[in-house]
Amino acid sequence: MMRIIFERSGGIMGSKSSLTIDPDDLPLDQAGTLHRLLNEADFFALKAEPPNRPIPDGFQYTLTVETGTSRHTVRTTDVTMTESLRSLIDELSQIARTQRSG
Amino acid sequence: MHAHHSIFCIIPPHMLKEIVRNGSAAQRETAMRTLITSEQMRAQRRVMKSMAAFMAAAATSGNKVRAVYDAKNGSALPGTLVRSEGDPASKDPAVDEAYDGSGVTYDLYFDIYGRNSVDNNGLKLDSTVHYQKGYDNAFWDGRQMVYGDGDEDLPVAKRLFNRFTIALDVIGHELTHGVTQYEANLAYWDQSGALNESLSDVFGSLVKQYQRKQTAGQADWIIGEGLFTSNVNGVGIRSMKAPGTAYDDPVLGKDPQPGHMKDYVRTVEDNGGVHINSGIPNHAFYITALEMGGYAWEKAGLIWYKTLTDKLQERSTFQQACDLTFAAAGEIFGTNSLEQQAVKKGWAEVGITVGGDAPTGCLSFILKTFGLVKSSAVK
Repeated sequence: MMRIIFERSGGIMGSKSSLTIDPDDLPLDQAGTLHRLLNEADFFALKAEPPNRPIPDGFQYTLTVETGTSRHTVRTTDVTMTESLRSLIDELSQIARTQRSG
Repeated sequence: MHAHHSIFCIIPPHMLKEIVRNGSAAQRETAMRTLITSEQMRAQRRVMKSMAAFMAAAATSGNKVRAVYDAKNGSALPGTLVRSEGDPASKDPAVDEAYDGSGVTYDLYFDIYGRNSVDNNGLKLDSTVHYQKGYDNAFWDGRQMVYGDGDEDLPVAKRLFNRFTIALDVIGHELTHGVTQYEANLAYWDQSGALNESLSDVFGSLVKQYQRKQTAGQADWIIGEGLFTSNVNGVGIRSMKAPGTAYDDPVLGKDPQPGHMKDYVRTVEDNGGVHINSGIPNHAFYITALEMGGYAWEKAGLIWYKTLTDKLQERSTFQQACDLTFAAAGEIFGTNSLEQQAVKKGWAEVGITVGGDAPTGCLSFILKTFGLVKSSAVK
């Protein structure tokens, strides 16, 4: 089993949104996409970004992935994230937005 | 995440010199280092200021140069150039709003405060629109403005946000982050960050009032009017007139802004609540402007502008902003002038007293470091 905890804070509203999902609970194609993006980002090997001066009104993203044996957290922003991580963050942002009215 | 406790603030040099004279060896060394660093900083600032003044004097009129780029729903900045200074209107509302809005912002700063663009040296105003897909935000990346389209990709019934260029004060807000970066450069966390945010709201709102030719009494003091779709129960993202009342919505929650120090929010989110606690200095400005009457950009705006450009520093606190706006009002309008009294009243209504009591922030840190006061005596 796997658990993904995705948080976004900051932005011009300064509000926080979060999403906790187990890909196994998602439709098959969506779950497959998430697994593929985690692999492509080589998520568990991602190193912490060097400290940057905060971007005014920028979003801050915190992504934690837990599996049975490991847990890894990455923090990033729109302007500092790598392209492979961006595809993953975009996908999770989309899921969070479509679920927000819940 | 933050480099805390850099000794970089308003410490009276005479006090440091006293420590050098009378302190222990360790105290002496720390004080010496601080003195040297602040002397270097002061010299650097002096040179930069005189250069900026020279450049400003060299320009006989403003130098408004705008460019709008299209990210085409991607993340690469700045994207494709779609409108340059002097080009006719495009058929894309986001492009034209970014162009016109940065123009009005330039005009307020130039016409009223004599400032030639973000850096006071004619910096080209770059904006990127259509950033990413379903991007509910706008930001200043240190060089340019960036705007998302809101929830354009969701069904109409699910949309909460319109495009972010729709609100002129949001454009003024982003550009003011640039001005602050070139001036006080307030660190973007905790109270200095909330001041940074508040200055963006203050001048963002003044841009809107300037365009509408509204007095302080006529203005709505709402930030981001038009950003929400009709699916949201709210009038904008913040209210300077009544912080905490801009929205109350089942999906977005309630506007969390306090309007008084007794409700100051301590949090690690949002860089220490920079968009939350900004409600306190926002409301102080609103009260000050209302008290003075007339156009808010003329007097209250001028006092805040002088404070931003000549007085505030990277780690300034609310208390220092209060004292420095009070000092600026005295310099411009005279000691005990009605204007200076209005500033005092503005801060008093949010629970901050001119010349306030306990030393806070870096001063208390210095006092503690040098063992001049017991840790329990200052916060």
